[in-house]
Amino acid sequence: MSDPTGGLSGRVASPSDDADRAVLVLVANGQLDALQDLYDKYRTMAYSIALRITADASLAEDVVQDAFLGAWRNAGRYVEGKGSVKTWLLSIVHHRAVDAVRRRRPTVDLPDRESVPPANLTLPDIWPEVAGNLEREAIAAALATLSEVQREAIELAYFGGLTQQEIAARTDTPLGTVKSRIRLGLLALRRAIVGDDGSDGAAEVGSP
Amino acid sequence: MSKQPMSHDQAVELAALYVLGALDEAEMAAVREHLATCQESHAEFEELGGVVPYLLESADLELVEPPASLRDRIMTAAAADLAERQRAGAAEPPAKPAPAPFPSAADREARARRRTSGFDWALRIAAVVALVVLGGWNLLLQGQLRTTNDQLGATASQLAQAQKFDQAVAAVITAAGEKGSKAVILTPTENSTASGIAAVRTDGSVVLAMRNLQATAGTEVYETWVIVGSAAPVAIGSFTVDANGIASFTTRPADTPVGAVIALSREPAPGSTAPVGPIVSTGVAVAPAG
Repeated sequence: MSDPTGGLSGRVASPSDDADRAVLVLVANGQLDALQDLYDKYRTMAYSIALRITADASLAEDVVQDAFLGAWRNAGRYVEGKGSVKTWLLSIVHHRAVDAVRRRRPTVDLPDRESVPPANLTLPDIWPEVAGNLEREAIAAALATLSEVQREAIELAYFGGLTQQEIAARTDTPLGTVKSRIRLGLLALRRAIVGDDGSDGAAEVGSP
Repeated sequence: MSKQPMSHDQAVELAALYVLGALDEAEMAAVREHLATCQESHAEFEELGGVVPYLLESADLELVEPPASLRDRIMTAAAADLAERQRAGAAEPPAKPAPAPFPSAADREARARRRTSGFDWALRIAAVVALVVLGGWNLLLQGQLRTTNDQLGATASQLAQAQKFDQAVAAVITAAGEKGSKAVILTPTENSTASGIAAVRTDGSVVLAMRNLQATAGTEVYETWVIVGSAAPVAIGSFTVDANGIASFTTRPADTPVGAVIALSREPAPGSTAPVGPIVSTGVAVAPAG
């Protein structure tokens, strides 16, 4: 039996997830106060992520507004079992923030914003439900297992919104090295979080 | 967009970059397309993608509270979007006549809970049916009155309550029938059951019919607010409510365009210039058909 969570399993939906899903149903039905509840719950995380990526308070506000309006319009497309509402929402914020910084960079050619599919159809649609709530310290410890260059490459990608080519140029590193740093870094992070060997999980999931 | 479909091996090689979003738009699209069409296992994507949310919780992400004005901006934009959706719904001929009698508030809430997705509730409250709905509600109430009277034997207070709401609704219908007026359906916020309907007259005054409001006590009042665009809420008139929970009230004239949010809050005393107490019910002004 394949494990759709890719080994990050054993998670029972927390009461908070259930409450979030109920709120999201109301959002999908056009309930403004439900949107406000969702905003109040996640505004700090959302704004902090947007600010970290854009490093610009006014742009971060635009990103958060854009993301919550995206959630408002697309709440009906959220698919249960593909990740918590929190993950879904924050990934929209992340996606919009990366879009915003890339658009600001003159060298990057981006398609029109409206033609970009909503974030839930891009990054997070294959995201599994993640394992139970780890303490921040545990996550920090997991990150600490990465080498400095691995962490740098991942952070430039995720919080800097850089593409692999841009990371290679910025760090003056061959493209192949950037690719393997990011891949090995994510695998190490997974091992540290899941607490098992990532390749076992791959075999398990890969079997029919 | 992509000229040649990406091979499975090519896609898997890009998994780590994809889950981090570190590909350019054409590459992202090619991987997306591959994932949507390829039947083979994509375990690598799931394994690597699963850890990405943890990056958001990493300890060095400094938590910063957004400015309070951002909430108003978002809620205003969402309200305008909702009004736009309703207008779009109104532009299409309704698939079938408006349901009559209008379902009770409890029926509507139950139905909204059963529904798992889609915007049909919002679309169905299109302006084009708003007036019919108001009439249907009124008819239903009259029916309830008769039933109560004939079969159950109403108490005088129940009868007075129903009649009072009936009169309030009649006032709204009269105002909504005026040329150029707009309609508002007010729905309860969390921890509230207050709902009702309203009409915005051409001078911008709002004629309200509300029920299930908690009675005001002492100096408490319900204040009516209108929120336009990104502007701060404007107080347009307050009223008190007795134990029957019903309000029939006409506000001061105000600038109340289509898309404006009408909100009721329970204030500790009259004269608030910004909402202090809890918001109990909200709705958006929509244009009538034709």
